[in-house]
Amino acid sequence: MCVGLSARVVRVEDGTALIDASGAQREVSAGVLEDLEPGDFVMVHAGVAIAKITDSDENETDDLMENLS
Amino acid sequence: MNENMKKARDIITSYQGKPLRIMEVCGTHTHEIFRLGLRKLLPEQVDLISGPGCPVCVTAIGFIDEACWLALEKKCIICTFGDLIRVPGTKMSLAGARAKGAEVKPVYSPLDSLAIAEENPDRQVVFLAVGFETTTPSACITVKKAKQKGLTNFSILTANKTMPNAYQALVGSADAFLYPGHVNAITGNAVCQKLCNEQGVSGVVAGFTAGELLTALATTIRLLEKGEPFFRNCYPRVVKDEGNLSAQKLMQEVMQPCDSEWRGLGVIHDSGMKLRSEFADFDARIKHDMPNIVGKPNPACRCGEVLQGKCKPSDCKVFGKGCTPLHPIGACMVSDEGACSAYYQYTEHE
Ligand code: SF4
Repeated sequence: MCVGLSARVVRVEDGTALIDASGAQREVSAGVLEDLEPGDFVMVHAGVAIAKITDSDENETDDLMENLS
Repeated sequence: MNENMKKARDIITSYQGKPLRIMEVCGTHTHEIFRLGLRKLLPEQVDLISGPGCPVCVTAIGFIDEACWLALEKKCIICTFGDLIRVPGTKMSLAGARAKGAEVKPVYSPLDSLAIAEENPDRQVVFLAVGFETTTPSACITVKKAKQKGLTNFSILTANKTMPNAYQALVGSADAFLYPGHVNAITGNAVCQKLCNEQGVSGVVAGFTAGELLTALATTIRLLEKGEPFFRNCYPRVVKDEGNLSAQKLMQEVMQPCDSEWRGLGVIHDSGMKLRSEFADFDARIKHDMPNIVGKPNPACRCGEVLQGKCKPSDCKVFGKGCTPLHPIGACMVSDEGACSAYYQYTEHE
């Protein structure tokens, strides 16, 4: 139950976001993420978008590894 | 494989220092590390131990008994994350209650249980609210919506838990923690940073992809080698230092801390969340006048020790024999995030 689902925001309306996860679309609550916009990527848990995803995992791990001496 | 991933892999495979114990606090990390084959990269000196971060696994047996009581005595419709259905209670699981006529519905989100309550106005509907900071906001949103809609046939049975005091209880059980990325996405990093600064507890926040887990493990091993306590956020694309402030505010508005029983760890002070009195109408224990129900664990099951990294699932006498995913004795064998089910799926056994 703790597995997060990363998805792209298609539409936001009245605190609800329509998300697309590899083609599967569903509505989730956007109640704890202000300023969500279509095109944003989010992490979804139990029907709620809990965090914006701000980068790709490849960029992220490149930065981290380059700073690890 | 890109250069940086090669570097991460080399740091892990070439480690030759003193023995290290790294705790995967989160059950999803345990499963992903097995599934991606990363355990095979670890040299002998590096031991990955499981922690208490599977919400289904740490849910006390008495909670299952309470849910069965609501289902059978009060004839409530029980809505729950599917994982909980087969977790054994003292006498039966919710699957057992279902066989006796109880109505138990798996849902993906607590919000789905509101629709079930609206479709069944003549029945009482109870959602089983388990989970850590990651999942608790969804229960809070649901209760607020139920209140707005004026629903009188909906309530939640809380067993929500919070990590900070559990970390305290685990200090000293590992050389470093792999912190659960999605918990930190909500709470932020202050608690982990403070543990490092004040108590010398080391750890990194880890994501869930192969690259992220390799990076987190390499960072942990390299920094442990250096010998100074450390905290690093290895999942910055999702976890911000301050966490999700709206979610934190929402949880404070709807719930308040309470003592909570963790399977294996016992009762930990202020490590749970319950509904505030303003939302008492949605508290299943109050609404349905629940008696005090105390669960009795199966003496054969060593889940408690597994959840504290004190023993491996394979050290349990009934692992893979009396206890299998089809016939689980303990919660750690049921949940997809449980350490026993991970070991059963990915290691060799009789
Ligand atoms: S193998 Fe089964 S009985 Fe043993 S600790 Fe794991 S869940 Fe409990």
